[in-house]
Amino acid sequence: MLTSFVCHSRRESASALALAVALSIPARTLHAQARMVDTTPPAGVTAITGGKLLTITHGTIDNGVILLQSGKITAVGTAASIKIPKGATIVDAKGMTVYPGLIAAETTLGLSEVESDDVNSDLVETSDEIFPQMHVYDAFHAETERIPIARFNGITNAVVAPAGEDTMPGQDIFIQLAGLDREAMILARDTALAMNFGNEPKRRGKYPSTRMGEISQLHQALIDATEYMNKKEAAAAVKSEPAKDSKDDKDKKDHKNEPPKFSLRDEALIPYLKGEKPVVIGVDEGHDIEAIMALASEFHLKVVLDHVTRSQGVLDKVASYHVPVMIGSIYDLPRANERFDSVYTLPAELARRGVKIVLLPGDAGGPGGGQALRNLPYVAGMAVAYGLPYDEALKSITLNPAEVFGMGATLGSLDVGKTANIVIANGDPLDVRTSVKQVYIDGVAIPMETRQTRLRDEYTPKK
Amino acid sequence: MIPARIALCLLATGTALAQAPPDLVIKNATVMTASHGTIANGSVWVHNGKIAGVGATVAAPASAIVIDATGKYLTPGIIDPHSHSALGSDINEATSPVTPSMMMIDAFDNTDAALYDALAGGVTTELLLHGSANMIGGQAVVIKNKFGLSREEMLFPNAPRSIKFASGENPKRVYGSKGQLPSTRMGNFEVMRQSFEDAKVYRKEWDDYDAKLAKGEKDLTPPHRDLKLEALADILRGKLQVQIHCYRADEFLTEEAIAHEYGYKIRAFHHALEMYKVGGRIAKEDTAIATFADWWGYKDEAWDAIPWNAVMSMHDGIRVALKSDSNDHIRRLNQEAGKMVHYGGATEDEAIAMVTLNPAWIIGVQDHTGSIDVGKDGDLVIWNMDPLSTYARAEKVYIDGDLFFDSSLKGYGTTHFEGVMHTAGFGGSDDEDAEGGN
Repeated sequence: MLTSFVCHSRRESASALALAVALSIPARTLHAQARMVDTTPPAGVTAITGGKLLTITHGTIDNGVILLQSGKITAVGTAASIKIPKGATIVDAKGMTVYPGLIAAETTLGLSEVESDDVNSDLVETSDEIFPQMHVYDAFHAETERIPIARFNGITNAVVAPAGEDTMPGQDIFIQLAGLDREAMILARDTALAMNFGNEPKRRGKYPSTRMGEISQLHQALIDATEYMNKKEAAAAVKSEPAKDSKDDKDKKDHKNEPPKFSLRDEALIPYLKGEKPVVIGVDEGHDIEAIMALASEFHLKVVLDHVTRSQGVLDKVASYHVPVMIGSIYDLPRANERFDSVYTLPAELARRGVKIVLLPGDAGGPGGGQALRNLPYVAGMAVAYGLPYDEALKSITLNPAEVFGMGATLGSLDVGKTANIVIANGDPLDVRTSVKQVYIDGVAIPMETRQTRLRDEYTPKK
Repeated sequence: MIPARIALCLLATGTALAQAPPDLVIKNATVMTASHGTIANGSVWVHNGKIAGVGATVAAPASAIVIDATGKYLTPGIIDPHSHSALGSDINEATSPVTPSMMMIDAFDNTDAALYDALAGGVTTELLLHGSANMIGGQAVVIKNKFGLSREEMLFPNAPRSIKFASGENPKRVYGSKGQLPSTRMGNFEVMRQSFEDAKVYRKEWDDYDAKLAKGEKDLTPPHRDLKLEALADILRGKLQVQIHCYRADEFLTEEAIAHEYGYKIRAFHHALEMYKVGGRIAKEDTAIATFADWWGYKDEAWDAIPWNAVMSMHDGIRVALKSDSNDHIRRLNQEAGKMVHYGGATEDEAIAMVTLNPAWIIGVQDHTGSIDVGKDGDLVIWNMDPLSTYARAEKVYIDGDLFFDSSLKGYGTTHFEGVMHTAGFGGSDDEDAEGGN
């Protein structure tokens, strides 16, 4: 693959145009691999030079250099401070902006292709509501055409979550948007538990049809799982104790501490009851946030609040929980008789209160949300237009989601040791006019080709 | 305290139409005219609600209100040629595939919050369309987004009549699911042809009657007046602009063939996500398109959508507009235009025309609005920066030279609105309801 790159010495200063020419070569040679891309790191060192680096963790570096080796970032700094090893593949990014791959913290990638096609959609199991034992990895379709299209605009990682119709619809996966197969693309299974509260999970004419029903249902499920966990632990404790009592006593104890009947559902909840992994709670209205947080704190869940686009009245309260908040879509419509920007300003308002925020992709009122995924950077730009500091906006779609989902050590910033998921664009990543020129995943230059570019090229008149 | 400017506006409203707003000069702006390029440090003068001067300097009277827009951008008002805002839950009369006598004005709610949200996004004119449940839907209403004024005052004066057609998945789904005709694309087009055959007979009856009347014949009995056939006959007479919801390349060709067969013109294909496949052929028909910037994949007939469609179609010679079909996207059509710089390399002037002058043509009001030219209505937006940027915000919105929105004001930022907004709780894209549209 790397042979397709134009290698040249550091003294040759290729223009931005030359970069574009150089980058167009792999897309042609790797035509057949546009969907499933082998991300085995190439041998040798790649040096991305001359670009403006948005590091996320240590500011902006003009005329910066990044070295990539074995799929990792091995150096980041100014041109003066980094020695480029002999034989390195040089990618001239002069005039370009270089930043870490974007992370979409809530998607349905691989769960649905054409949204109106129910037969081929696996968005959420709605035959019941309490389904922690549903794993989206069982449905994840890695070959989806939606992944290259999201990647084309600089998204390299995503959380895949079940849709919001159940109070507890299942567990998420954390994926990388390139890989030879689904195993390579799933970076973490059961990375978080999804929970929902409010109007959406209500059932018509069935339990639960009210908010009381939803909370009661969740409460019971958490009690059941807690009892299950305690029984299981008690039984395990007895088993590990050395037999020293009389035979009678031992029989009695064994009976009392019999392990519970194995339950997929209760098993699934144990790591969350122990606070080992985050529970992402989808909730919109302010009063709903307070109600569900009361339940979550009773069970000491490690909460991430999600959506919250109707929380304008309780922002201080939200901040007081000291939990990360995923906001979105910020394009949700204001309620009647609210100022037009009451939702656009939420990221700024929460960040100002010290909340760690994550911005989510999506449209309001559009036909589904999956198609809007590639516009994630513009969501962050819109939040900037309405008061969010630029650096916070960038973090909210890179490092913050990485940290919330336990990937902070490997993703989300341009730092030595992190995975080489890097984007080169011809301008400000948050601006709608900017085009991504090259995406690297695991240090591999990904073909900038999608089903849509193929259609474009097929119907472009030949000169 | 009410700023003087607002008091003036309220006064102007109070004394109704007789009194024109005072002269207005916006100076030192980057003026994106949409018709003749961009003027750095330009000025625009509005007199009697109409643009009276555009250029490096303008000869306005000293009494004019002067707005210094140094560092800011000025564009024509944004125009949405495909909206269902302010129609509540009355978007589709989905009880018959042919309902041309439905008048959208009968559902128009001028207090809908969606109008306000759009105004704050710089939208000054909208074409409010029937949904896409029916092959031949209802007749549109054209509004000026003078939020806060009466229903009547919001109607675009003397705008041409438009009628909404649909095709493809939606009509066949809506009626097929009821076990009715049409349930296939064959059925869809058969329904249309039969309607126009009926309309031909009706039209002839009336043409014969009118001819006899003109000859002075006495004791004539007029034919029965049928609202549905009358509207269809008006299509054949060229009195209605035909706006067709249509996605697939083959269906553009079929629609044009039927239009030729029955002698009417198609003003625009809406959605038109596959126009890039047949643009050269449709350009010859002088049919425009109103398309999405980058929506795709939400149904089978949107699966071949590509974000380069608008610019590729433009290069094929088609007049291209971007539209919202959404109470969300209508608030940021300027950004949708900005995406055209990214997808296909439109110039900034081409991109801005896609949300101003080109949609004005689709609606048929291009001689009145859609660009900054002398003689046109004073429909103008001052932006804090280049409106094609993600970071752009509409700061002031003028319609007919009158200020309707000012983001620096506390509260809503509206200057004419008092009272309570309504909302249908509807996202505004027709696919959201069962008998939907996009």
